[in-house]
Amino acid sequence: MDMLRITDLHKRFGDKEVLCGLNLTVPEHSIYGFIGKNGAGKTTTMKTILGLLKADSGEMIVGGEKVLYGQTSTNRYIGYLPDVPAFYPFMTAPEYLRFCGEITGMKKAECEARSKELLELVGLGDEKHRIKGFSRGMKQRLGIAQALLNSPKLLICDEPTSALDPVGRKEILDILLTVREQTTVLFSTHILSDVERICTDVAFLNNGTAELRGKLSEIKTKYRSEEYLLEIDSEADLPKLLQAFPGMEQRSGKHLAFHEGERSAFEVLRFLSDEKIGLLKFERMEPTLESLFVEVTQK
Amino acid sequence: MRSWLAFMKKECTEQLRSGKLLILGLVFLLFGVMNPAVAKLTPLLLEVMEEALAQSGMFVTEASVSAMDSWVQFFKNMPMGLIVFVLLESRIFTKEYSSGTLVLSLTKGLERFKVVAAKALVLSVLWTLCYWLCFGITFGANEYFWDNSAAQNLFFSVVCWWLFGVMLVALMVLFSTLFNSNIGVLLGSGGAVLAFYLIGLIPKCGKYLPVYLTGGNSLVYGLAEPGDFVPALLITLAISAVCFALSFPVFNKKKL
Repeated sequence: MDMLRITDLHKRFGDKEVLCGLNLTVPEHSIYGFIGKNGAGKTTTMKTILGLLKADSGEMIVGGEKVLYGQTSTNRYIGYLPDVPAFYPFMTAPEYLRFCGEITGMKKAECEARSKELLELVGLGDEKHRIKGFSRGMKQRLGIAQALLNSPKLLICDEPTSALDPVGRKEILDILLTVREQTTVLFSTHILSDVERICTDVAFLNNGTAELRGKLSEIKTKYRSEEYLLEIDSEADLPKLLQAFPGMEQRSGKHLAFHEGERSAFEVLRFLSDEKIGLLKFERMEPTLESLFVEVTQK
Repeated sequence: MRSWLAFMKKECTEQLRSGKLLILGLVFLLFGVMNPAVAKLTPLLLEVMEEALAQSGMFVTEASVSAMDSWVQFFKNMPMGLIVFVLLESRIFTKEYSSGTLVLSLTKGLERFKVVAAKALVLSVLWTLCYWLCFGITFGANEYFWDNSAAQNLFFSVVCWWLFGVMLVALMVLFSTLFNSNIGVLLGSGGAVLAFYLIGLIPKCGKYLPVYLTGGNSLVYGLAEPGDFVPALLITLAISAVCFALSFPVFNKKKL
């Protein structure tokens, strides 16, 4: 079953069209990476799903139910973590979770138990101070706890790791991996290593549409590049190679790159052997998300 | 209902822990004490200054004060109290907009009207408590030192003033749903009151405007009849009701 389905979503701010016909399908129990440059419309999309912004046109279905602006009853399926979560600074973490529980109509005992469990999960179990004194990482972890409080079917995180140091980032990613059993995760980011680490599905948002989307493994296979990288022994041989293979490009120093479409790898190897050019490295490139991202965003 | 109560509890906790409740309590307590104190101290002050006044040609023969002087002080000081109240509480909505704290509550399914209802009620109750605290202290002291029966229509005149405050609370709530910054709230509410004052300068309009309700002095001195205040009273009630009522649909459509 699809937890979230977005069809032909349009949103415009003034004369800037941020989303122009976005389509997105998030399968249940996936960790969905929503990738895009700053200003690509990731936050806009998420806020529209949550009914905080009104879409100009298009349809969004959460858990089989249509999202309506203003009366967003679909929010009961969703746990949301904004990019910079803001809490009431005068409360303590357990007090805040109790407040959240009361708002969502959780039973008191259930809320207490769940709060305790989640605070342990995010490593705030022993924290007695008011939120006023929390670090960014602590707030982000409390943010995950509040988002998971009423066991949502869909967890939406807006750049949960962007503002954190490497340790904080690892903690958040580990937590997201842990909760995958219980829920579906949709998270936006521009940190591609995070996506490679935990995501099962991805979508690249560019020019207001999801230009590339699907299972991460399938995308990687599909976009397996034909690019080769080679490093030669002596710089003196560079002109010879570049002359013989005009499509070849010099990356840095003795590093060269070429696409197999232009010349076959064996041809290059033969040339190297005929000319007795010393070789240090000959490598077929695996596609990285970075190269895909660049490819998609520069189209 | 439970979620509304939870939000109310949060509002109350905030008033308490942020120290606003304490500051407001102290300010209105101080005003309450000052009203009779100033009246009580006036003869002493004149006595001390008798010599200086005599040199400038003024002679103090007998200075008598009564509860009336204290009530004059009450109506004179109350605008100050209301201004303090508005300045302290003007950020009750806008602070949540700028920090983004409402986003999490609303995305958890808290209906928007409950936010407006809770904040409007907290503001109204807070204003009422502050106002009647000030009144209670002044009333008690006046009764102790002098006699309150000298003041005519006393209860009616203070209810009028209280209602003027309620209307300002309603304006604050409405402008808080319209604007995102507390500057907007202050300018909007202040501007509305200023507009009432200016329109009040037109002779025939004066007695229909909310500002008329703040003229409690004329009532306690018996210079005006309660009946004169009825049009302004009804109009103020209507303005308050309309402002409160409008806040809900405006807030429902607000981008957060």
